[in-house]
Amino acid sequence: MVRKKVVVKNESGLHARPASVLVKVASGFESEFTIKMYGYHVNGKSILGVMTLAAEFGSEMELILEGSDEEKALDTIVELFESKFKEEN
Amino acid sequence: MNPGSNSIDLTGKAVSSGIGIGPVTIINTKSTTVRPDKIDPDEVKTHLQKLRDSRNLLLSEYEILRDESHLQSAKDILEAQIQTLKDPEVKKRVQYKIESERLSVGYAIFSTLNEYIQLLESSGVQWANDRAVDIVAIRDEWIDVVSENRREFSMSKGDVIFAEEIPPALMVKISRIKVAAIVMEKGGDTSHAVILSQSLGIPCVINTHWNRYQVKEGMLVIVDGLDGHVIINPDDQQLTKYKKRREQDLSRVKESLKWAKKEHLTKCGKPYFLRANVEFLEELPKIATHGAKGIGLLRTETVLFETTEFDVKEQVEFYSNVLKTTEQESVTIRLFDAGGDKLINDKNSEANPFLGWRGVRMLLDEPQLLKKQLEALYRVSEDYKGRLKILVPMVSRLEEIRALKKVAKEVRAELKAKNVKFDPSIPIGIMVEVPSVVMMANKIAEYVDFFSIGTNDLTQYTLAVDRGNEKISALFDSYHPAIWRMIKMTKEAADNHNIPISVCGEMASKPEAAACLMGMGINDLSMNTSAIPNVKAVLCSHTMKELIELSDRVLEEDELKGIHNLFSKWKIKD
Repeated sequence: MVRKKVVVKNESGLHARPASVLVKVASGFESEFTIKMYGYHVNGKSILGVMTLAAEFGSEMELILEGSDEEKALDTIVELFESKFKEEN
Repeated sequence: MNPGSNSIDLTGKAVSSGIGIGPVTIINTKSTTVRPDKIDPDEVKTHLQKLRDSRNLLLSEYEILRDESHLQSAKDILEAQIQTLKDPEVKKRVQYKIESERLSVGYAIFSTLNEYIQLLESSGVQWANDRAVDIVAIRDEWIDVVSENRREFSMSKGDVIFAEEIPPALMVKISRIKVAAIVMEKGGDTSHAVILSQSLGIPCVINTHWNRYQVKEGMLVIVDGLDGHVIINPDDQQLTKYKKRREQDLSRVKESLKWAKKEHLTKCGKPYFLRANVEFLEELPKIATHGAKGIGLLRTETVLFETTEFDVKEQVEFYSNVLKTTEQESVTIRLFDAGGDKLINDKNSEANPFLGWRGVRMLLDEPQLLKKQLEALYRVSEDYKGRLKILVPMVSRLEEIRALKKVAKEVRAELKAKNVKFDPSIPIGIMVEVPSVVMMANKIAEYVDFFSIGTNDLTQYTLAVDRGNEKISALFDSYHPAIWRMIKMTKEAADNHNIPISVCGEMASKPEAAACLMGMGINDLSMNTSAIPNVKAVLCSHTMKELIELSDRVLEEDELKGIHNLFSKWKIKD
C-alpha cells in the first residue's frame, strides 16, 4: 500500500471535469484507490464519490493505493494534481 | 420560406420509402415514477439482469452520442454521464439495495442516486450544486429504461413515431402496430430498426434533428421516406400534395403486387426463386401476398431471446408455425446469430463485436444453446420432411463446420436413443460472409450442402467498412467490384461441387443487382418481402440473354462508378 498527501491546485476546485479526468485515469489501474479527506473515505474510481467531496482550491487530501501497480498509479495521479489536471493553461 | 404558415420543415436521411401522414408520438421522453416496492426473493435475479441491461443500453447510447458530438462541452457532459453509469460505487449500492433490501431495480437506482444528489446539493459549492442537475437527468433516464418493459408506450395505429433511436426490443413492439412512419435522430442504414421498417414497408427517415420545444405530441406530420422530408404542421396545400402522392404510391405498390401472382420465370422462361427474409411471425402473411417462394432466411435471434432459456418446446412451436404458413416451400433457418449489432445481454461488451464472438464461434462455445436449437429443428423436421435447411452463420474456418456437424450428429444420436423420429438428412449449409470462406470456397463446398451469400457482412468484412459507422457509410457499397468477383468465385465453387447457392443479403432486394445475380447464374434470392414484387417485375420482363449481358459487363468493371453507371443506364432502359 502506498499513500501520499496532495493539495488541489485548480482554482475552481476538483470540479466535474478534473474529477472526470481523475476517475478515468485511476480506473485504468488495477490498484484499489481511496481518497481520504476530512475523515471521509471515497472510492477514487467513483465519479460521484469524488464529486461529493466537493474539494475546493487548497483542499488537502490523502491518496491511498493498493495493488500490483500501486507505485505507478500513485505517481501518475500525483502528477495529475500537480499539473492541475491539465486544464488551466 | 413560408412566413404565413407555422409549418416546420426538417430533413433527414431517407431509408425506407413511402409517405406517412399522422400525429406525432414522441417516445422516451416521459420520466417514470417509482415507489419503494419490495420485490420477492425470486425476482432479485431479474432485477439484477434489468440493471445490467439498462446500464449497458444507456452506456452504448451515450458513447455513440459522445463520439459523434463536435462540441467539447457536450462531450464532457456525456463523459460524466458515462462515468456515472460506470461508477463502481453506484453499481455496488444499487445491487445491494436489490439483493439485501429487496428493492425494485427502479427504486434502487432512484434512492442510490438521490443520496449523491443530496450530498452535492448540500455541499455549499456552486459547481457541485450544478452537477446535481445532471445526476437527476441520468437518474430519470435510467429509470425510464429500466421500466420500459412494464411501460406501454401510448402509440396507436397511424401515428408517426419520433425517437432518438429505437432499440431492437422496442422496434419489435412498434412493428406490431401499424404506425404511419418513423423519424429517428440517430440510427444507421442497416440498424435493426431500419431493416425492420423496410421489411414492414413503414416510411422511415433517420438522422433527423428536431427542436423538442417545437415538436409536440399530436402535431400533424408528413414523412416522405423517399427524399427524407419531414414536415410538421403542414399547410393544406402540402397536405393535398402529399396525400395525392401517397395514393399514387399505394396504387404503384398494388400494381407491382400484380407481379406477385406471376410465375417465377424470366421472359424467356427460365425459372428462379425469390424467397423471403423473415424474423417475426408478423411478417408471415406477406409471404403469400408478395409472392415469395418460402423463406430463404429465417432469423432466430428474436424468437430465441423471447424463449425462457432457449426452451426446446417454445422453439418447436415457432418453427412449426413458420413451416405451416409456408405450405410446401422450403424454409432455411439460420442458427442463432447474436453478436455484432444484435442486442446481446452479455456482461462482456466487446471493443469490436463485428469481429468478435458471434455466429458459429459463439454457438460452439455455448453447446447448450446450440444443442437445444438443433434438437428443436430435428424435432420439427419429422412433420415437414425435406422442407427445412439449416444455415450456419459467421463461418470463417473449415474446422468450425466439422465441429458443428459433430454436434449435430450427437443431437441426432440423443434423439434416436429417446426414440424421437426426425428427418436425418436436413441439409446443413453456411453463410458466405467472411472473405476467408470465399477464398476457401472450393474446398469448403465439399463439406457443406449449400452456400448462402450474406452480402452485407461480406461487404463490411471485405471493404473494411463498419456498416454502423455513419462517418464512413458512403464507403459501404455492396456494388464494389471486389464483391461481384467474390460472388462469382463462390458461385464457381458451388458449381464445381454441385451444391445450391443463394444470396440472402440486402443486395438481392435491389432489382438491378438481382438481375445481375441472375445473369451470373444465381437464381435463388432471398430478401425482405416488400422488395419481392419489384424484383420480380424486373426478372419477369427480361430474357436471360439480357441478364447475362448485364452481369458480364458488371464483372468487367474495375471501379464502383462504372458499375453504378451500368446499373443506372440499365434501369433507364427498363
